[in-house]
Amino acid sequence: MRFDDYKSGAILVAKVLDGRIAADVAPRFKEALIEYVAQGNRAIVLDLSDVTFIDSSGLGALIASLKVIGPDGELVLSGAQETVMSMFKLTRMNKVFRMFSDVDSAITALS
Amino acid sequence: MKILLVDDDPVARSIHSALLRLHGHEVVEAADGEAAWQMMQAGQISFVVSDWMMPNLAGVDLCRRIRAAAFEHYVYVILCTAKGEKSDLIEGMDAGADDFLVKPIGAEELRVKVRAGERVLSLEHGLADKNRELAGINSRLQSAYALIQEDLKAAAWMQERLLPPAALASHGVRCEGRLQPSGYIAGDIFNFFPLDEEHIGFYLLDVAGHGVPAAMLSVTLSMVLAPDQMEGSPLRRYDYVADTSEAMPPGDVIRELNRRFQAKDDRYFTMVYGLIDTRSQRLRIAQAGHPSPVLLRRDGQREILGTGGMPVGLWPEMEFDCIETFFYQGDRLLLYSDGVTECMNDAGEGFGEARLLQYLDRERGQPMDKMLTGLLAEIGEWHEGKEFNDDISLLTIEMA
Repeated sequence: MRFDDYKSGAILVAKVLDGRIAADVAPRFKEALIEYVAQGNRAIVLDLSDVTFIDSSGLGALIASLKVIGPDGELVLSGAQETVMSMFKLTRMNKVFRMFSDVDSAITALS
Repeated sequence: MKILLVDDDPVARSIHSALLRLHGHEVVEAADGEAAWQMMQAGQISFVVSDWMMPNLAGVDLCRRIRAAAFEHYVYVILCTAKGEKSDLIEGMDAGADDFLVKPIGAEELRVKVRAGERVLSLEHGLADKNRELAGINSRLQSAYALIQEDLKAAAWMQERLLPPAALASHGVRCEGRLQPSGYIAGDIFNFFPLDEEHIGFYLLDVAGHGVPAAMLSVTLSMVLAPDQMEGSPLRRYDYVADTSEAMPPGDVIRELNRRFQAKDDRYFTMVYGLIDTRSQRLRIAQAGHPSPVLLRRDGQREILGTGGMPVGLWPEMEFDCIETFFYQGDRLLLYSDGVTECMNDAGEGFGEARLLQYLDRERGQPMDKMLTGLLAEIGEWHEGKEFNDDISLLTIEMA
């Protein structure tokens, strides 16, 4: 589970480089996000533009990370592709996570 | 180390023997190749230093015999040649010699070549030990694996028993289901049952992930949702005063499950729970993050019920919406898990909702069991015979 990350001011942008967030990588995915939070990041943009598939374990990992970052943190999603987006809509995750079409609009909204 | 020294010249033999003993080795001697061969067969000899030209059996032929015999342990062979010509060396190596000494043999040369041989033998011993250890471990692993498989098969059998039997019918409503675990046991489960004189309840749920932990939760949920449970069942609301019970609306059932099953380890589940009122033909469905059921109307129309919902177990205090419609004679409803639509072919494309709907439009006239069997076959073809990595479950209900 690989990420490309950089800071834009106080905001951490983490781009998921793997195409699939599925059961086999979900634990490492969750660990990585929790690590970002543990490092003190309170505003995280997760760039999903390269992700073509996410399954129930992947979603579970995302939600766990959201719970870890807590009410005074922000974990938002950007660049979700159509298949991923339709899964988010089916599970109403688009109501739980703020979603943006790209990283820049996410950064603007969080600043 | 014990070394077999073979030389028909007694003087050379005694000099070289002394040198080897000086270097700390134990030496046994043979005066010709045949005698040497007898000693090889009798005892544990792993190191041979042999002259080439000898009566009865030449050193190079002794070497060939040693290699052909394929003793259990490796035998390191040094051949001593007078000429050291390339052709000799090639013939010797072909015969299986590990190294050569050119006569007259120097003491230091003898010492270091024997030492090199010692290293090779010690390497071989190490490998042989490792192999024995690995064989033992492998055998224990095979036994353990066999036990685990037995357990899983037993669990799979138990899980199957929780499913509604084939061709179940109640109050004029018929159902057929299929559960295809990706391993032995599934994180998916479904059921169909009369709840009371008028109502039929049914559900299909999918626990996040798969394998044993998911299956354990799915079985637990199946027990909790057993219709014959009276006290504390989430399916019914009790009026303790009047001592009557009524079927809980689907949204409330899921709300209650959500209250009871808050995920402690990120393990949530998606679900469709439905209630049919057989008198009024009213169909109510609550959908918790699960793929939308497909309603095939008798007149050929097709409806997709709902747009989704929050999965169960993520956050406490959630409300779950209910969709209402009617279920008439000849109508057929299909519930399925995302293992169907997410099933990938070799190119990484999912089977998808569109393909599923196409299939249903084509095969809806078939009896329910044929429709389901055919659908599984089509999914199997799409997946091109590989192992499925998610559970597949199908539940179809028809108003006769």
